[in-house]
Amino acid sequence: MSETKTLQAPVAAAAIAVADDTAAPAIGLWRRLEPTMLGAATFAVILIAWQAIPYVVVMKAGTKMFFAPPSEIAVTLWQLFASGTIWAPLGVSAAGFGVGLGIAILIGLPLGVLIGRSETLNALFDPFVTAFNATPRLVFLPLVLLWFGLGLWSKVVIVVFGAMFPLLINTYEGVRNADKLLINVVRSFGAREWDIARLVVVPNAMPYIITGLRLAIGRAVLGVVVSEFFGSNEGLGVMMVQAASQYKVNIVFAGMIVFTVLSLAMTGLVKMLERRLSRWRPQRAGGE
Amino acid sequence: MTDDTVPRPSFVWQNRKLLLGSLSVALFFVAWQAVFLFVPLNTLFMTEPTMMFRALGQLIASGELFYDLRVSAVPFGYGFGAAILVGVPLGIIMGWRVRVGYALDPLMIALYASPLVAVAPLVVIFLGVGVAGKAIIIFLLSVFPFVFNAYAGVRAVDYLLINVVRSLGGREKDLYLKVIFPSVMPYVVAGARIGVGRAMIGVLVGEFFAASEGIGYAIAKFGDIFALDSMFACILVVTVIAVALTEGVRWAERAAFPWRVGR
Repeated sequence: MSETKTLQAPVAAAAIAVADDTAAPAIGLWRRLEPTMLGAATFAVILIAWQAIPYVVVMKAGTKMFFAPPSEIAVTLWQLFASGTIWAPLGVSAAGFGVGLGIAILIGLPLGVLIGRSETLNALFDPFVTAFNATPRLVFLPLVLLWFGLGLWSKVVIVVFGAMFPLLINTYEGVRNADKLLINVVRSFGAREWDIARLVVVPNAMPYIITGLRLAIGRAVLGVVVSEFFGSNEGLGVMMVQAASQYKVNIVFAGMIVFTVLSLAMTGLVKMLERRLSRWRPQRAGGE
Repeated sequence: MTDDTVPRPSFVWQNRKLLLGSLSVALFFVAWQAVFLFVPLNTLFMTEPTMMFRALGQLIASGELFYDLRVSAVPFGYGFGAAILVGVPLGIIMGWRVRVGYALDPLMIALYASPLVAVAPLVVIFLGVGVAGKAIIIFLLSVFPFVFNAYAGVRAVDYLLINVVRSLGGREKDLYLKVIFPSVMPYVVAGARIGVGRAMIGVLVGEFFAASEGIGYAIAKFGDIFALDSMFACILVVTVIAVALTEGVRWAERAAFPWRVGR
């Protein structure tokens, strides 16, 4: 995703050439609003079509049980918040998410810096990082349930497993990319390994770390949902699974919307942080 | 750079990464085995490597393992194949037809951020636990990396090449076949790396929910009957397959598009 941002120029060029060859210089109001409008229009069309299905197609009673029009989902969503029934399960899910992501950061960051700075440690850890990163975390779920039981800690373990590796790998990449010259300068002034990490390596790796954090959030949300689906007794995911088995499709979709909005909001927040933290970068790049 | 003048490094030094890696894996298994010389082993909660490998041998000998793997591989193939066939063209069109991109990008982002695993119960209720249900879950989980990467790939197409083809009288079709498709390929393969992982999650989700065979079902079943040696054996197999698939894609990436290494 971050890659696409730097590629705007060719796209703009393509836009002008492909869309229409005439109105290149004057970029009007429509031009600026077009992406948003088109994006919103897609959502609108889908929602209207979805809502209209029952009026167009005659559904059998069996199929009807799996169908919830958007209006019904919206009402359900509103009721969940208005009556306050959503807060307890949401709190449980949020706790699993927060604790898991926190632990993932506490382990992933230092470990990433360590294996980034030491070839030997990297060689020692590499097989495990590769294996755990490639393996779907879900495969450990039955085992984790056996060890930690139903509840917060199984969820935390699954979230940590999912979220730690993007953080670790990105931190590692960032550390490896640190400017050797700067490290040597700091070292010449008598800095220890700790100071090098604090003064050069970690600030330098910050954009990578933030990208890792963004990936980690996505994986952590997935971890919460999945672990609640299969092994938990409370939480938003549990609510959704129970609703699904009772054919309350509207609650399933309402839950999905809540998860989606939360994960988009958090990713957006991290993106803002990313922009904030990288503001100083261009000035420094002058020395390059 | 400076290493050119240094005398040839020894064999050990040249392969130190591989050696250290194997060493640490070997140490891991030895330590795991050794712990239970001091700590009593409760086979209901833990197993040791020797027992795990013995169980693995039995699963292979009885043919159970390969049967379950075959059962899981079929929906994986269908779902992942469909993800490529749908995701790549969709991403290319989104990238090339700018308005289509505007229209679909927010929807795709929202769908990607939503926990699509959540529709798994609905899919299972609707389509049952057979190949179709699993394949759809796998498709839903693995299609987005292809869409986004093909999309990004088109946007990175060298505009000069397009102008050249246009100047020489190329049509839209030539553009797609001669410029866009080749430059999108590396992105698609990179997407496949992410997609493979997500497709495997799809397999497991489908089989944990409701299944009577398949590798995910086997893991859940062995967990339920506290057969931890067999369970660990299956987990090990899944890990090996996962690494083989992701590293395989990475290898293909390096072999096919050597100029992109390091991106």
